[in-house]
Amino acid sequence: MSLITRKTVGHPTPRIDALERVTGKATYSGDVHLPGMLYARILRSSHAHANIRQIDVSGALALPGVKTVLTHENCTVVWGSGSVSGGRQYIDEIKKTTRQKRYVFNNPVRFFGEPVAAVVATNRHIAEEALRLITVEYETLPHVLDQEDALRPESVKIWPDGNISLNAKNEAEPEVYRRGNVEEGFRTSEQVFEDRYTTTYVHNAQMEPRVCVASWEGDKLTLYTPTQGTSNCRHDMARDLGIPDEKVRVICKYMGGGFGNKNQNQDADLIAAMLAKEVGAPVKLELTRKEDFIGVHGRWPTTQYYKVGVNRDGVLQALQLRGYSGMGPYRKNSGAIGGVELYQCPNVESVVYPVYTNRAVSGNYRAPEFPQGFFGIQSMMDDVAYKMKMDPVEFVLKNMTRKSNDDVPYSNYTLEDCIRRGAEAFEWKKRWHAPGADTGPIKRGAGMSFMTIRSPLGQSSAVIRLDSNGRYTVFVGVTDIGAGAKTTMSMIAAEELDVPLSSIDLVWGDTDRCPFSVGESGSRTTDMTGGAVIEAARDLKKQIAEKGLPKGENALIASASPNPTSDGKVRKAFGAHFVEVEVDTELGRVRVLKYVAVHDSGRIINPLTAASQIKGGATQGIGMALHEDLFYDRRSGQPLTAGYYGARVMTHLDAPEIEVIFIESDDGYGPFGAKCIGEAGIVHAVAGVGNAIFNAIGHRMKDLPISRDRILGVLA
Amino acid sequence: MKTFANTNPQTLEQAVKTIQQAGTKGQTASLVGGGSDLLGLVKEFIIKPDVLVNLKTIKGLDQVTPAAGGVNVGGLITLDSLGRHPLVRSQYTVLAEAAETVATPQIRNVGTLAGNVCQRPWCWYFRNGFPCLKNGGETCFSVIGENRFHAIFGGGPSYIVHPSDTAPALVALDAKFRVVGPSGERMVPAAEFFVLPKQDVAHENVLAADEVLAGVQLPPAGPGRRSTYNKVLDREAWTHAVVSAAVVLDMDNEICRSARIVLGGVAPIPWRLPKVESMLAGQRITPELAAKAGETAVVGAQKLSKNGYKVSMTKALVRRTLLTLTTRA
Amino acid sequence: MSKRKHDISRRQFLEGSGAAFAVATVAPALAGPLSAADLPVTEGVSPGVPSTAIRLVVNGAEHRIEVEDRWTLAELLRDHFGLTGTKIGCDRGECGACTVLLDGKPVYSCSNLAVWADGREVQTVEGLAHDGHLDPLQQAFIEHDGPQCGFCTSGQLMSAKGLLTRNPHPSPHEVQAAMTGNICRCSNYNHYVEAVMAASKNPKTSKRASGHSTASNAAAEVSATKRRRGASTSASTEGGAR
Repeated sequence: MSLITRKTVGHPTPRIDALERVTGKATYSGDVHLPGMLYARILRSSHAHANIRQIDVSGALALPGVKTVLTHENCTVVWGSGSVSGGRQYIDEIKKTTRQKRYVFNNPVRFFGEPVAAVVATNRHIAEEALRLITVEYETLPHVLDQEDALRPESVKIWPDGNISLNAKNEAEPEVYRRGNVEEGFRTSEQVFEDRYTTTYVHNAQMEPRVCVASWEGDKLTLYTPTQGTSNCRHDMARDLGIPDEKVRVICKYMGGGFGNKNQNQDADLIAAMLAKEVGAPVKLELTRKEDFIGVHGRWPTTQYYKVGVNRDGVLQALQLRGYSGMGPYRKNSGAIGGVELYQCPNVESVVYPVYTNRAVSGNYRAPEFPQGFFGIQSMMDDVAYKMKMDPVEFVLKNMTRKSNDDVPYSNYTLEDCIRRGAEAFEWKKRWHAPGADTGPIKRGAGMSFMTIRSPLGQSSAVIRLDSNGRYTVFVGVTDIGAGAKTTMSMIAAEELDVPLSSIDLVWGDTDRCPFSVGESGSRTTDMTGGAVIEAARDLKKQIAEKGLPKGENALIASASPNPTSDGKVRKAFGAHFVEVEVDTELGRVRVLKYVAVHDSGRIINPLTAASQIKGGATQGIGMALHEDLFYDRRSGQPLTAGYYGARVMTHLDAPEIEVIFIESDDGYGPFGAKCIGEAGIVHAVAGVGNAIFNAIGHRMKDLPISRDRILGVLA
Repeated sequence: MKTFANTNPQTLEQAVKTIQQAGTKGQTASLVGGGSDLLGLVKEFIIKPDVLVNLKTIKGLDQVTPAAGGVNVGGLITLDSLGRHPLVRSQYTVLAEAAETVATPQIRNVGTLAGNVCQRPWCWYFRNGFPCLKNGGETCFSVIGENRFHAIFGGGPSYIVHPSDTAPALVALDAKFRVVGPSGERMVPAAEFFVLPKQDVAHENVLAADEVLAGVQLPPAGPGRRSTYNKVLDREAWTHAVVSAAVVLDMDNEICRSARIVLGGVAPIPWRLPKVESMLAGQRITPELAAKAGETAVVGAQKLSKNGYKVSMTKALVRRTLLTLTTRA
Repeated sequence: MSKRKHDISRRQFLEGSGAAFAVATVAPALAGPLSAADLPVTEGVSPGVPSTAIRLVVNGAEHRIEVEDRWTLAELLRDHFGLTGTKIGCDRGECGACTVLLDGKPVYSCSNLAVWADGREVQTVEGLAHDGHLDPLQQAFIEHDGPQCGFCTSGQLMSAKGLLTRNPHPSPHEVQAAMTGNICRCSNYNHYVEAVMAASKNPKTSKRASGHSTASNAAAEVSATKRRRGASTSASTEGGAR
């Protein structure tokens, strides 16, 4: 469908708050300074699994400047979103039935770095010193770090019910999806292939470490905290503290990224709130970078076993995944492994076990279940293509999904376009060759990957106010995690209202002033909150038509809280990545030489910020493929690489040029046809890099990260 | 941050005295150059100084001065200045190249040569506060633990690798280190400055607690000299050497009169390769000889459970660096 | 270790609806209302902590101030001068968010002590704009969408500023190498390099620093001795775009 050119939407537009960001005027939570503010720090467990026999805080309390200390002995508040049954929200029904709760302070401690105590003092140096004066007597227990090991009968049970995470019904059951009959499918396959792939824990590593400032006025809490969803954060705070929602105000004007670990509320928010209540003064709680790596959450590691059956033309007959996700000792999020939905196949079975381990907790990181699964399954399929002597692009075109789960139509379908366009722009035929074919120690290779990702519609809210000066104020509960939501919402409002962007003011990031927003996660803000902005704009236009423009002190106010659907069709964004790498087979170094990313994210509202999203996601994917890991000393269960240096996060010199091609479409849904984009860049990047490396060296790298030592190991 | 007092000595004598005075009061003093690495260790409570002796306030310790045909380099010169210095770049290229591979521009702008040479290990057990040999404990956790970056030469009882880039270059240049202490000044050949764990597990070099590495003395570089520093990182920037090679060749046209090859990232000290050096002496460095040099370089390597890849990496690095240097104009 | 269980706090934080603050017995003196002696010491040095009087120039303005020896330069700038444009991403010299110019050279302000800045010149992001005009780098960052979440942006700007001052016409690779000490987790590296290249080619273009923000662009000048007691740094202003 060709898109009509619009006035504002679709034009590259600098962020409306770019000026604040480049002049240092943007106020992040850590920049907040309130009168009488005190400083807090958290003491964390130095064991991976242990009972706390005793905590002696007298030394800390005796230190001049220390005001109070919290531990599990005087705080039994449950952190509802820290561990939710079956990856679900801690609603009343779940509260009553769940057998696995996560308190703010737990005993036993179940991972190295669990909060054990929190101190507040007149300055951060005293608070830090106070931590060192707290003595904790631990009785250590055995620990288990790997998600497969955790299921062995001899492994320690982290929870009485065992190490398979309970679902919402308190069952220790895997997540299962089936269609057809895989056993039958394998029987009728010409060839059957099996293999195992693993991915590792990767931390979100957002630039802004966790920090929050809590302040009470009477019985009302104001919380300055980086959160991707002020509404969710507020509700979670109220629920966990046992106070009404309206007694909590969450403010987040700017935040330094999160990529999924700043959703809902965090235990740090609760701790700061409780300390502030206790001392009757504002409290700023700052986490160190190491604490952020260990104490917040990162992407779940996985072990994936695939069995794939094809007929002699390389067409899929049966596809089976048995997967294990390492969740840490608390089930913060789903633990799913995406990927089987990428393929057209009559017989499919996916059985994924979310497993408890004594490691840092796993949770959402940009497209939570996709990069891991897409790496596994697309490496597997790339290998099948190779063994069937097929060009990987040919294999994908034959087997890619054409209907959601082979059943429900997509709202539109451009996956084949993305792949063909990308192959052409990348010069696939020129760059792809027989695996390992290059002579000499420096070998080049090309690989590709593709993706579909959910682009759902759903409920969100917006309010628009028009005053007599012709200024339109849009109230939305976004916080702008970095994707540019403020600008996108403003552009959508301007377009629908048919006014210049300069007539729009935006009020955001404050639950006292802004309506509900779904939260900037799951790539939903443009679709959902953008949709609400459009509905509010339409309501306003109607009011203007009925009542005329406001005069004097009068204003028109329109609000909307739509909950649209896509009429039973499945809405997805599509994409394909093409990667050329150069592998130095003597030194194990991998360099990305060329990277073409083709994306259908519907209509691109702001091409400038949209390109940033794809480039950013792809670069994170390269880092996940080549470098990143949080690994542990097995004997002590202590993490060794927490922090930017240890995790080997990508730098300027690591980042290749990412060429972005948008295939625009309008499926009739979403704001002006926009689809999700925030997560789209990362989901298949890892697989593309892995496949390119295979093409270069002729060896399949099945375990992430594909580091130098592993490359040299496989070539030895 | 731990509480400490910063002192700003005006002379080396004052610096030494400050350390001694701290000692008599039962306090620990730490010398500070640029301070990046020191502050990192202090913030993690790996070291807990009561007194900082800030060497930056001593004038004249950061100069590059020609002397007796060679060059004296002050210990407090920043790595950035060292890497850019025309004399160092042209005559002691290996040192300039080593300096400019350290970490990032921000660290090189304050980090000093002495600080880089005396840097503590980056072993993750040490830096995460494990009670290891380097932290005053009784064991080396890497042996049966995570050891992919640990030593393949000279290890035992600790298996750290020396983290400095400039140290291998200085050893390859036959530098002498000017050490200033309570009894005055002494010159220590670079090759004797570093100590293996089996000699002294608590330290990486011979400096006493009240001694300062004030500078290095580089002997004259002959006309046929070529040198380079080749560093393998496991990211494109910032990280310490997985393996590195500091190579100095004194060429007579096509013939290598003498060679100095010192490895980083493979041993608790900069690891010299005397057998390879004698193999090359008086020879034309052909691809075959370079390959043989690589093979010889790893003779005697002792792998731990996860660092075996360093052997083939070292082989290749030595071979390639020799060839690059000999084919360089 | 004493066996006696100490009263950590008489206020019990309990799980359950409404009960969290129900048990509120009289809080002990330690947790009582703040007295003047308790006021946060970010206002000045703590008694008994080693401190030094220093003189330094920040964004062109000279300051004389007593600093605790243990304060990092980042801490001095952010907490005592109110220059919160410099961010702390890791406090370990591993990310670059805290980059400032020290005597014109990019350094990690978290890895330098305040006391070592005595007699020296510091420039932070607040000091980039001049007479209400943005630095060409700032303008280029806006136009090329340098900042995503913006947290690394101040550091990227200062590294870029240091680069262009020394090398006004860098190649893209030189830009990457000069800025490789600044991590961007949003990974907007391509756009940052584009922006720096653009700024290097258009050194004279800089628009007047008005536009969408109510924020002033004057070089920040906060006298530490007159630090506004407890003034919030725009914490409660709405994010109104004009």
